[in-house]
Amino acid sequence: MGAYLVRRFLLMVLTLFGMSVLIFVMLRLVPGNIADILVDASGADPADKAKIAHELGIDRPIAAQYVTWIRGLAHGDLGYAYVSERPAIEEIAPRIPISAKLAGMAIFFAILFGVPLGVISAVRQNTPLDYFLRVLSLSGLSLPSFWLGLLVLMAAVHWFGAIPIYDSNPHGFLQDVAMLGLPAMTVGFRSSALIMRLTRSSMLEVLRQDYVRTARSKGATNASVNYNHALRNALLPVVTVIGIEAAFLVGGLIVTETVFNIPGVARFLVEAILWRDYPIVQNLVMLIAFVVVTMNFLVDMTYMVLDPRIKFAD
Amino acid sequence: MLSRWAILAASCAALVTGAVPAFAQKSGGTLRISHRDNPPSASIHEESTISVNQPFMAVFNNLVVFDPKEKVNSPDHIVPDLAESWSYNNDKTQLTFKLRQGVKWHDGKPFTSADVKCTWDALTGHADEKTAILRKNPRKLWYSNLKEVKTNGDFEVTFVLGRPQPSFLSMLAGGYSPVYSCHVPERVMRSKPIGTGPFKVVEFKRNESIKLVKNPDYWKKGHPYLDAIDWKIVPNRSTRMLGFQSGEFDMTFDSDVTFPLLKDVKANKPDAVCEARPTNVSSNLLVNRDKEPFNNPDIRKAMVLALDIHAFSQILSQGHDIEGAAMLPPPAGFWGMPKEMLPSLLGHSTDREKSLAEARELMKKAGYGPDKPLKIKISTRNIAIYRDPAVILIDQLKQIYIDGELEPIDTTIWYSKIQRGDYQVGMNLTGVGIDDPDVNFYENYYSTSDRNYSRYKNPEVDKLIEQQSAEQDRDKRKQLVWKIEKILADDVARPIISYNVSNTCWDPKVKGLVLQVNSIYNGWRFEDVWLDK
Amino acid sequence: MVAIDHQAELARAGANVTGWWSRTLFFARRYPLGAVGAAIVAVFVLTAAFADIIAPVDPTATNAKFSLARPGGMFWLGADFMGRDMYSRIVHGARISLAVGAGAMGLGGLIGISVGLASGYIGGWFDLIVQRLLDIMQALPLLVMAIVMAASLGPSLRNTIIAIAIPLVPTVSRVVRSNTLSLREQPFVEAARAVGMGELRIAVRHVLPNTLAPLIVLATAQLGSAILVEASLSFLGLGIPEPHPSWGRMLSESAAEYVRTAPWLVIFPGVAISLTVFGTNLLGDALRDILDPRQRS
Repeated sequence: MGAYLVRRFLLMVLTLFGMSVLIFVMLRLVPGNIADILVDASGADPADKAKIAHELGIDRPIAAQYVTWIRGLAHGDLGYAYVSERPAIEEIAPRIPISAKLAGMAIFFAILFGVPLGVISAVRQNTPLDYFLRVLSLSGLSLPSFWLGLLVLMAAVHWFGAIPIYDSNPHGFLQDVAMLGLPAMTVGFRSSALIMRLTRSSMLEVLRQDYVRTARSKGATNASVNYNHALRNALLPVVTVIGIEAAFLVGGLIVTETVFNIPGVARFLVEAILWRDYPIVQNLVMLIAFVVVTMNFLVDMTYMVLDPRIKFAD
Repeated sequence: MLSRWAILAASCAALVTGAVPAFAQKSGGTLRISHRDNPPSASIHEESTISVNQPFMAVFNNLVVFDPKEKVNSPDHIVPDLAESWSYNNDKTQLTFKLRQGVKWHDGKPFTSADVKCTWDALTGHADEKTAILRKNPRKLWYSNLKEVKTNGDFEVTFVLGRPQPSFLSMLAGGYSPVYSCHVPERVMRSKPIGTGPFKVVEFKRNESIKLVKNPDYWKKGHPYLDAIDWKIVPNRSTRMLGFQSGEFDMTFDSDVTFPLLKDVKANKPDAVCEARPTNVSSNLLVNRDKEPFNNPDIRKAMVLALDIHAFSQILSQGHDIEGAAMLPPPAGFWGMPKEMLPSLLGHSTDREKSLAEARELMKKAGYGPDKPLKIKISTRNIAIYRDPAVILIDQLKQIYIDGELEPIDTTIWYSKIQRGDYQVGMNLTGVGIDDPDVNFYENYYSTSDRNYSRYKNPEVDKLIEQQSAEQDRDKRKQLVWKIEKILADDVARPIISYNVSNTCWDPKVKGLVLQVNSIYNGWRFEDVWLDK
Repeated sequence: MVAIDHQAELARAGANVTGWWSRTLFFARRYPLGAVGAAIVAVFVLTAAFADIIAPVDPTATNAKFSLARPGGMFWLGADFMGRDMYSRIVHGARISLAVGAGAMGLGGLIGISVGLASGYIGGWFDLIVQRLLDIMQALPLLVMAIVMAASLGPSLRNTIIAIAIPLVPTVSRVVRSNTLSLREQPFVEAARAVGMGELRIAVRHVLPNTLAPLIVLATAQLGSAILVEASLSFLGLGIPEPHPSWGRMLSESAAEYVRTAPWLVIFPGVAISLTVFGTNLLGDALRDILDPRQRS
């Protein structure tokens, strides 16, 4: 198992390395660079452009730029953001907790609704309630989250005459929840739908299995069978989904932070791409890749702990 | 359209006659304003966008300034700022300013003539590496006639001009001409600038907020009235509007409320004070006259004849946008051609059917027709205020057998692309920082300018531009300006579709704000603004 | 395997049905949600195919007089602020969505299948490298990958298809690869080899058809997500440019400004996207149940 761990870890590092090369090269193939934006948008002299390009080091060969970046990364130095001229870390770091809080709340909502509804749906299989819940969960996978966000805003305006506007210094916990609650539910809707579907299907599978039947024949009540035996075993795949959803969540966060005007990392990525602010984009992409890869790694580890039957040949 | 002109004229007249009621100003309070996007930096001299001017003009002072109480920026209403007085020598080539004494920078250092010299040396490119306080310099062209800046003691400075240029003082009077200090590095100026103005920068958080606080040592005693100004950057317009309606903001960003949105704002915040005014930003058509088949003057002419400028105005602003030529027309504009003269210009005819018929004839003559449309690419910057008119343009050109495909260009490459002439037809927006013929003509129509995007070259026009620039007699100069406007229109140099008019709204408790009608870039000092709570 | 499973399904149900129509009815009754999904998808495809007939009004024609016209009368679904007919824009928008969805799926599928087949068939170091490359591509969420690609390529229909297709490649090729790996040891493949059939021919004639079932399931699911990604890209301003009537684009910027004065601009395009994706999801679920019993829930 130790060998597996090491191999799995090395693979992770390899993937991240590949990603760093990929994103670095891809960004530099994009037409237009920061010097163009800085100079052309304000209509300054073309001579200024060369000066800025030189100052920012973007006139050097790509390979040299790459080495500088990776060397810096190894020392925890992410370079300087082009637009703000501040260390990239200072631009990125304060935004991480915002997105993390949003993602955390989204997953919380997703589990809060997804797991119980999934269980109900499975226990009441093929009843109208089950059909309703299945349609509901499928709709969760079908609604674009930016549209859902717009509808939520419309509803908020209609009923409260106001919308949640992000404030970086919330007055207490309650305002924090009010401010991020609606966006979090918007993002979490999709995840809760997926969790619901998976809970339902794994629950159904477990309910069919022998030991549940045995428990039933021993006189255990339906409720205790459902909740003690079955649910516990059905949770394993749910853990997986939560791991996988972390990746999807990033996509949902990008549009939701845009709709609700939340200054998190996800929206920042789109802004930075439009500004060709490479140091921000490449570090953000690496951050996202790191989160995704680590989540996958952790899910695998959880599997190993939760279910020793799984063999790890490859 | 007529009635709106009348209203505008009346409101301007009212202000000129000094109808500003006197209030007992109250001090204190924080003014909360929404901002539409992240300012590229805080350094006014390095940028060309209202996103920088509106929040940061209050941090600085100019030498002279357009009278903040006047609605129309005009060379007749320029008042002292850091300069207490000014005078010309006999041949009008030396402009000497006497500077205010005892003024301090926000960091406590004294303001002297050296700071003025530093600033304009940097703007003319005369500064050496050590004293360079600018990384880029978009308005170098303004100062091409400025030969030298001489100091005479700590409180006198002389600008030496190559030839007489009446517009020079106007250029110093706009929001784009603050005085920078010698001792603050450029990087600081871009992130947390130091000025002499009524407000100090507390923080500029990218994509989030800009916080300014009152400068207690401001040299103008008793000003400013506000304790602080809080800008919150909200890129989504609907969110900004809702924030204003729910009382989150006391004021909208400049010209943020379009006419279709105004109804909504008024319905949900009936006490909102909203003022419509021209932004001196024109939507205009770029036709690349170096490219086939647009090197054929008939095709360029046909395109202009096909424009229905009233339909543009109706769709984009419910008819409020203003028809005009190369300069913003009066009463909002100071220099532009009077509206009675406009119908004589190409593309401004009131008989649309006749123009269309003529345009179709020209297209047929050039070999195009319903069965053989001219297929073109219409390039525009990929943001809504550019895209929307481009969509209308494509629709209108269909009527003269032109089949246009929209090519949205990222902001990042838009300017360099059109500067290179790498386009066929473009939909462009041109903002004029100061309503002044020198500022506008030299930049957009002079044959050697980098930003003469349509590559219009006419030696006669170049000569006329020089001639009006040196003309001291105001009326003679206006005649020259109108002559240039007429030639530019008939030559399809850069057909002006319309001058945008948009609304800025604020809560009735915000007092003392005067919006200027011929430039959005000036008049944001906020030193006379107060809150009536 | 497609045909085999049909038969198995019918046999299991003990039904004695013959003929195309009765068989369709049988499945519709057995999978009512799937039938609804199939109907929605059919409507979507037909709308896209016959957009010019269903909505003859030019979706790009502007008219100041009808700016923000309410739904009803001449404009069933209202008009946007340029006076463009929303009904016509939504109908023609189906064409864009289908073009991007099918295009991205087709392109991504083609590349994915080739890579997967090659990887599974050649094996060894080639397979190893390909798998690591796919790992790298999968380290980024679909939308993030598509955003970076779309920004690099610039907004246009073709580029949007590419930007969505490439991130779809890993999933497709993994499915094909794992099927190929298990199939190449099957007796019928061995037999084909024994009679001297070329490897490429075996791959295309025997292995690929037997991978069809999971691929169809995958394709249906991905059609939905391709449509969603296109909508998100266009919403962010990176996808299909104006004046093409893209549903996502209709919801971006200006639409959001009219949530109160003209809610129809927000509601109808969103309904169109959601309904279409909902239909493909329903159909995808049913197809999975029918074609891929191993994954049956």
